[in-house]
Amino acid sequence: MASVTTKPIDTTTIEVPGQRAPLVLGSPDYGTVTESVCRLAECKTPMSFYVALGISASLMGMLFGLIGYLIITGVGVWGNRSPVFWGWPIVNFVFWVGIGHAGTLISAILFLFRQNWRTGINRAAEAMTIFAVICAGVFPGIHIGRVWLAYWLFPIPNQMEMWPNFRSPLLWDVFAVSTYATVSLLFWYMGMIPDLATLRDRATGKIQQFAYGLFSLGWNGSSRHWHRYERAYLLLAALAAPLVLSVHTIVSFDFAVSQLPGWHTTIFPPYFVAGAVFSGFAMVLTLMIPARSICGIQDLLTDRHLENMTKVIIATGSMVGYAYAMEFFVAWYSGNRYETFAFINRAFGPYAWAYWIMVSCNVISPQLFWIKKIRTTPWMIFVVCIFVNIGMWFERFVITVTSLSRDFLPSSWGYFKPTIVDVLMLIGSFGLFLTLFLLFCKFLPMVAMAEVKSVMPRPGGQGDH
Amino acid sequence: MDKKYWRSLNELHSTPEFEEILNREFSAAASEYPEGVSRRRWMQLMGASVALAGVSGCRWEDEKISPSVSRPEGLIPGMPQKFATFMELGGMAQALLVTSYDGRPIKVEGNPDSAQAHGASSVFAQSETLSLYDPDRAVGVVERKAGTRYSRDWQAFVEYADSILGPARQDGGAKVRVLADVSSSAARKNLQEKFSARYPKSRWYEYTADSRDNAYQGAKLAFGDVVRPHFDLSKANIVVCLDEDLLSEHPASLLHARDWAARRDPAAGEMNRLYAVESRFTTTGLSADHRLPSRSVDIGFYLTKLEAQVQALLSGKKAEAAGDDYASKVLAAMADDLVANKGASLIAIGTSQPAELHARVHKLNELLGNAGKTIRYSKEPLATDVSSVEALRTLAGEMQAGSVETLIILGGNPAYNAPGDIDFVSALSSVPNAIHLGEYEDETSLLCQWHLPKTHPFEQWGDSRAYDGTLCVAQPLLEPLHDGKSEVELLAILNGEKNPVGLDLVKEAVKGSLDSMAVNASWRRLVHDGVLKGSSLETVSPKVKALPAAKITEAASEEMELVFYASPQVYDGRFANSGWLQETPDNLTKITWDNAAIIAPKTAKGLGVEFGSVVKLILEGKSIELPVYVLPGQAPNSIAVALGYGRTAAGLVGGDVARDVAPVGENIAALQSKGAINFAAGLKVEKTGKEYELAVTQDHHSIDAVGAGEIQGRVGQLVREGDLSEYKKNPGFAEERTHHPELKSLWDKPSDVEHSYEELSYEGQAWGMSVDLTKCIGCNSCSIACQAENNVPVVGREQVINSREMHWIRVDRYFTGDDVDNPGVSIQPMFCQQCELAPCEQVCPVAATVHSDEGLNDMVYNRCVGTRYCANNCPYKVRRFNYFNFNKVYEDPNRKLQALVLNPEVTVRHRGVMEKCTYCVQRIKTVQIEAKNEQRPIEDGEIVTACQQACPAKAIEFGDLVNKKSIVRQKHDDPRAYKALSELNIKPRTAYLARILNPHPSLAKPATDGHGHGEQHADAEHKKKAAKH
Repeated sequence: MASVTTKPIDTTTIEVPGQRAPLVLGSPDYGTVTESVCRLAECKTPMSFYVALGISASLMGMLFGLIGYLIITGVGVWGNRSPVFWGWPIVNFVFWVGIGHAGTLISAILFLFRQNWRTGINRAAEAMTIFAVICAGVFPGIHIGRVWLAYWLFPIPNQMEMWPNFRSPLLWDVFAVSTYATVSLLFWYMGMIPDLATLRDRATGKIQQFAYGLFSLGWNGSSRHWHRYERAYLLLAALAAPLVLSVHTIVSFDFAVSQLPGWHTTIFPPYFVAGAVFSGFAMVLTLMIPARSICGIQDLLTDRHLENMTKVIIATGSMVGYAYAMEFFVAWYSGNRYETFAFINRAFGPYAWAYWIMVSCNVISPQLFWIKKIRTTPWMIFVVCIFVNIGMWFERFVITVTSLSRDFLPSSWGYFKPTIVDVLMLIGSFGLFLTLFLLFCKFLPMVAMAEVKSVMPRPGGQGDH
Repeated sequence: MDKKYWRSLNELHSTPEFEEILNREFSAAASEYPEGVSRRRWMQLMGASVALAGVSGCRWEDEKISPSVSRPEGLIPGMPQKFATFMELGGMAQALLVTSYDGRPIKVEGNPDSAQAHGASSVFAQSETLSLYDPDRAVGVVERKAGTRYSRDWQAFVEYADSILGPARQDGGAKVRVLADVSSSAARKNLQEKFSARYPKSRWYEYTADSRDNAYQGAKLAFGDVVRPHFDLSKANIVVCLDEDLLSEHPASLLHARDWAARRDPAAGEMNRLYAVESRFTTTGLSADHRLPSRSVDIGFYLTKLEAQVQALLSGKKAEAAGDDYASKVLAAMADDLVANKGASLIAIGTSQPAELHARVHKLNELLGNAGKTIRYSKEPLATDVSSVEALRTLAGEMQAGSVETLIILGGNPAYNAPGDIDFVSALSSVPNAIHLGEYEDETSLLCQWHLPKTHPFEQWGDSRAYDGTLCVAQPLLEPLHDGKSEVELLAILNGEKNPVGLDLVKEAVKGSLDSMAVNASWRRLVHDGVLKGSSLETVSPKVKALPAAKITEAASEEMELVFYASPQVYDGRFANSGWLQETPDNLTKITWDNAAIIAPKTAKGLGVEFGSVVKLILEGKSIELPVYVLPGQAPNSIAVALGYGRTAAGLVGGDVARDVAPVGENIAALQSKGAINFAAGLKVEKTGKEYELAVTQDHHSIDAVGAGEIQGRVGQLVREGDLSEYKKNPGFAEERTHHPELKSLWDKPSDVEHSYEELSYEGQAWGMSVDLTKCIGCNSCSIACQAENNVPVVGREQVINSREMHWIRVDRYFTGDDVDNPGVSIQPMFCQQCELAPCEQVCPVAATVHSDEGLNDMVYNRCVGTRYCANNCPYKVRRFNYFNFNKVYEDPNRKLQALVLNPEVTVRHRGVMEKCTYCVQRIKTVQIEAKNEQRPIEDGEIVTACQQACPAKAIEFGDLVNKKSIVRQKHDDPRAYKALSELNIKPRTAYLARILNPHPSLAKPATDGHGHGEQHADAEHKKKAAKH
């Protein structure tokens, strides 16, 4: 613990020509890395953890309570109405699925591109992905009118000899999200095995020894194990990489395949993927900035890590901005009255407030990252990322609700108003997310120790490899 | 020691309830059989029965309705039967045909044998089944003593009636009064005469809140005799309605709508032209070719101008130059048309207008030679010497003065709907013996000593006459559910008859109209048909007397007026407890579950109020607070408010203060007074600063400028309209209103097919529908008929505010034109279009909505899990979702009775399930099965959907599109036909026929290219499209 009391000055964001910035700061030796990561699981839990867990677990409890109320009463407890048949639950679903994008992108795609800086963040990002997908998975399940028949969405052999309708994007969605969740979970868990073994070896309590022992699957660190592990990791990374693109592409099909003006656009798949990466990175930053100082792992998660991520945010934020502009152009260029109106209505109709919140949060705020000062100051990054999170929620709101609220026949136009249940369920889903994340911080290795060690200067060696 | 022993508190206080128990062997619940017979008498009868048991072979027809022990020949359990009956409103019968399943009436249709109804029916008739099973209907005889309610039985009432009417006979019933609703029943008339003979000094009054007194007095002024005008709209080229809703509120509206619509086919002969001058926007106004919004007080002014112009034209003089304003132009056009169509035009004036104007309209009609041609006169059987309101006023005066000891109220609810200046409530409290016969224990019952349950129209024998005088007879479809008696039965009891039988009373009364040679056979025929053909009122040819010179009332004073009108939903309040009717959106305002102050946009601006602001209406010192509805087309400075709301003892639906159910809307009758029964100037309006959310089914929120602009741009493509001249130039103009790329099919199209429904090679039938927008008057009949047929639930005010209403048919209403104070209105009934390439089907993940091989877009409720994706993808937004268990009301043990209204042929949908129009698939299947059993093809017109059946204008057609001779196919091939949103390539099976207006040439809008946009386009595109069709 002494190692973290004297905080070294983080100079990783200063570009020195001809020299790579170190990925790990402080006195970089394997022991320190192990110590600083495992310490979290082994030291006495601070009171603040229990307070935070208490709050988020209560919010999670509220979510489950409301789900119970919903199932007993009917989906009318939400603000959904004609013509806005999909309201906040679907907005929340797409929001959470989008957030769940960063993890796999970081672990799989950056891994395949040999971006070594990913090692500091990938574990937490993957965990976040899993938790976000769990939050996302809650909503479509409870969103349907007869929750007790949700299993009909799966192609389970049954006495009715009924298959689901394979033409429906919702069904594709079921497959896409469940595949993504499965692969992400496997990838995350598999990557964690060596670290779990480390925890097992250091554990002193009986329960910890048993649990870590169980989940580390008998890892003994032999070369054979390492060889198998790295092969499998590479294969899973290759398998997960296309999923990063496919899952949100298919989520976007839920909208794009329908014929609703404002939904029926070919730009949706790339636009959704960019948006998802954008929101995912923002959420990783939102979580990691406070987490790294609370847990004292700034050495492993340096300012440079943060800066790299802000660059991804600028890139994806600009793509999203481009998509917004292109939607307008295409709507105008199509000459289709309904399409044109859908977009004019978004920007200037009754939901203009939501649209402009979205634009200012998603297009304008990330542009601040062109300024190096902002890009390298954690609290400023944090503020911008909060805006991005808000903006991305509103993006889904704008797409889902404004398009539905005014479609073809003006006689059926309406105005969506959320109910208190809608609001509390969104808050409750954050409770679920944070509860899982807090438990993860407490019991699992937050940083991929083994991977970090592999990118560290070797003891006594020249460092750069 | 004198100790008092008692068994219960009731005994201690010796309440009448307890005394009754002491005096009767059995409690009220265990009534002695047969009812109305004492135990002693029963023993006698039983003794006689035993004695006569040996005498067999004689059997009398039994009028009791009970389940059959053995199945009568020809009756198949589960197969519906139809019975003719009628309902009476304002003294006029509407002939009905009621479908009954195993003795359970579930659906009302118009009587096809009735010349008036011709199978069509109104929203009121449609909702009669719901009111039959209303659990809030009064159950059993009730006595109120010193504020306490006691359950009694008819025996107790008869004893009571004897005890008060017996002594009253001594003085000829000088202190006995009867207050009845207006009726044209001959049986009642007979009994009324008997009653008067028995109590010669008694008096009989009739009151209805929606009286036709002005028409009676106007006829008397004009002809010296009260006559009833009968309009023949099929012969009228020009129809002028002055504050009169001929097409929906008139007692003969079904006939009018049909005749009017028959003349609205541009391909079949000359189209008629309809003018409406009116203050509030009515069904007639929205159907009119020209509508002039005018305050009701100004109708006289416009009539005077019209008279002057007509007279000038008739005498060959050139009419004085018409002003430049719209009103003058319309009047000039009207005069021009009326004179050009002498003998083939008609002018009708509303009953709200004063008698003097009625007289002048009679005069004008005579002058134009319409009398005897488009207008037939007959005697007025309902004429009374005093007006309805004056009768009530006199009675209230007598009651206040203490000269009424016994008051018998037959139907009606005067304690609720008496005008504000008649304090009927306090008058009633000074009557010691008040007896109310009513279907509900309503406001009036609560103030009476006795409440007697009245039978529902479907539970009784009855007779009445339609507007044209046709005799209608009602037969009971089931035994009275709540121990009720009909009006005539009660009157007979009061006349001293023991156990009167409705059947005998009615048969006796109508015997005169039957074939005297074969009374029984013709009676049976009459009961079967429900109407007696050829029994309409005899034509008379009265001549108009010289009328006093017309006083020219100066219009255009800025004074505000208040117009009262019977609600098109709850009428005078009698239907307030009907969920179907409360939730029927008004055809113009789309308000449900409320009445509102309807104000013109111009006036609202002047007052500084907007949609939802609560205003205080002050008329002659009395005031009431109401929310504002700003309606384009409402006459400026005229505020219209519907009567019939604000019921405090209607029931759990319409409001019941005693059970903590807030009234629906406000009772505006409080503002009515002697001079202000129908309308009155001198209204003051004050802002209150309060807001109120009205439950409307369209424009749920005020539309912003962006949306309003877009609506204007779209309406022309959705509801396609054109002038007759445009139609003549290019009958297929409707199809050209939109431009879109050629619609391609993924299937190879065989060269020999013309239509997609053939292309997809449906075996057998391809069902399709057509709606003629030229004929549609937007009366809501289809919507409520559909609700009744398809078990569509009621969702309540809160859920309507949340846009969760469930109607399978909604009638879309759009305002058109630039002038918000005098807009055009386009209406379009909208329901599932049964697209061939249905967007809903593709997106359902569980295949719960699929295509049938007859081209129907089937909804499988069992399979639906409720993702609602289909509804999102439906461009018409006609899918309805069960957000809650809207049918929970049927599960409540106390309201279980209501479940009897459900159509057993149609699934009751579960919570979480999507639903929508099915083209009445159950009706299709019934006919298909029947045809299959009989091994014959289905004939065109054999399958009639509920909406089609109810439509008074015959605007809806249904049938097989593959059959080239079917009416619906011909409609689909009509040049006017277009499919809504067909550019989406979804191939709807419902075609709309463009609305053709027939404006006067001087008022026709300058011809446009009719495309809604100025874009150039090649003729080749049109030709190509024409070729495709």
